[in-house]
Amino acid sequence: MRRRLTPYLFLLPFFIPFLVFYVASILYAVYLSLFVQHGLRPPIYVGIQNYLRVLSDANFGSSLLTILKFGVIQIPLMLLIALLLALYLDGLKSAGWRAFLSGSYFLPYAMPSVIGGLLWGYLYSKGISPFDQVLSGLGLKLNFLGSRGLLWSLGNIITWTWTGYNMVILYAALRSVPAEVYEAARIDGATSGQVVRYIKLPMVAPALLLAALFSVIGTLQIFAEPFVLQSLTYVPTDLTPNLYIYVTAFNYGNFNYAAALAVSLSVITFIFSLAMLWLQSWQRRRW
Amino acid sequence: MRRFPSALASLVALLVAVYFLIPLIWLVMSTAKSTGQLFSDFGLWFSWPLHWNLSWAGMVAFEHGVVGRWFLNAVLYSGVVALLSTLISAMAGYAFSHFQFPLKGLLNLLVLGSVLIPFTALVLPIFLILHALGLLNTYLAVILPSLVSPLGVYLMALFWEQSFPMDLRDAAYMDGAGEWTVFARIGLPLVRNGLVTVALFSFVGTWNNFFLPLVVLSKGSLYPITLGLAVWNSTVQAGSSVNYPAILMGALVSVLPLILAFFWLQRYWQAGLTVGAIK
Repeated sequence: MRRRLTPYLFLLPFFIPFLVFYVASILYAVYLSLFVQHGLRPPIYVGIQNYLRVLSDANFGSSLLTILKFGVIQIPLMLLIALLLALYLDGLKSAGWRAFLSGSYFLPYAMPSVIGGLLWGYLYSKGISPFDQVLSGLGLKLNFLGSRGLLWSLGNIITWTWTGYNMVILYAALRSVPAEVYEAARIDGATSGQVVRYIKLPMVAPALLLAALFSVIGTLQIFAEPFVLQSLTYVPTDLTPNLYIYVTAFNYGNFNYAAALAVSLSVITFIFSLAMLWLQSWQRRRW
Repeated sequence: MRRFPSALASLVALLVAVYFLIPLIWLVMSTAKSTGQLFSDFGLWFSWPLHWNLSWAGMVAFEHGVVGRWFLNAVLYSGVVALLSTLISAMAGYAFSHFQFPLKGLLNLLVLGSVLIPFTALVLPIFLILHALGLLNTYLAVILPSLVSPLGVYLMALFWEQSFPMDLRDAAYMDGAGEWTVFARIGLPLVRNGLVTVALFSFVGTWNNFFLPLVVLSKGSLYPITLGLAVWNSTVQAGSSVNYPAILMGALVSVLPLILAFFWLQRYWQAGLTVGAIK
């Protein structure tokens, strides 16, 4: 009897906060999203009305579209750079050089996203930015934080933060290839290009897809970087879904509608995750 | 024949490394400048004389040393969360890896599914429930939600599986050791690598979390340093006579513990990221 209870007792300290902050909080948000409240009057139950409003909300739609356009360019680019870096590190013989490089590439991941956003914000600011100093010395005028440059600048911050993280995952996948496989390929007379194409790339494919999955989820959640850039330039409040949710809740005080937006974003994120996982199982069956 | 491309590749690899280091290099150089030099001198070199002492003094003087308080708050949040979250993840991971019980499949699925839920997506629901519980603007508002780490449980379960053989556990039972003794005295030392890895990720994750404290704290005296700096930076941008080097010194101080943890515990980083990703 005692032994039968033991695993539950070990699980309890985790599951109590888990149930409160992961399960109950989501259920409570769903519950609140079914009401509207005007001023100090008591909340009124409105069913799915908030969700119908989400569907026709131009700002929410535009934030999703913006972040989608952003991800379509930024994620493949970042993963390509991460893959090239991982392949390069994997081919290196000097362990010291490899440690220095991989350490430098990975360091931004350990930095707080706010501080990353803050530092790049300064590196983009007129007068302070060394890049701006060089470019204006050459007679070029680029406004990194203008309406046309903003998304590219944000893309640079996200790429700077996450490339090293993805590189580490891909590099580990490359390392998991047994040495005998390369040995056999070498004996068969495979060129290094063929080794990359027919051994290394198929071996990292699952890790690459996993990295893509986490990138998509992360992209849908971007918040801190555009939030800190607000202090340096004009950032549209519907630039990213989470920025819009934050503004709806804390600038306009509309918590019921913000809850509906947050639940909708979670559902969208979940659908993306399922699609990527389905893609992964499909790919496993192919290789 | 292969010499030239490999030298070129090394050069490109080095330039890429410089790109990743530039914000930190710039930060170290800029904290040594005066506000005037920040605008007049080239950004990616030192301006003499070095003024680190002045930017430090400016940071310490801001609102009677509130930056020091923010720093200690961050140490408190991250330290407590790392300690407790690692312990509860180790306990849950132990239950999943070393016991069979009726609800195991369901609970395991619940935890694994939650690994895919980004914490950011939970911040508003967490705010709403903390509001309902009357916990906003307390240390607990940051600590309690951060204790939950599905990824930590998953990692710990893997570490338990690898490092604590069932035979060893059964032998301990034979010797008459109780469940807690087996877990704490015999098991925990064997999964030390896992504990360090999970504690590292949970410390850094809490230190770097911005959205949660931003939403659940409005009292400046409770801010962790990242939030404090962001607020300081935004109020200063709106006003005049900005002491940029002082803010930047704050930014440098806020990343120092992370840089130390980074170099000191480098191998655990890789372990934490790849154990989960490759399996």
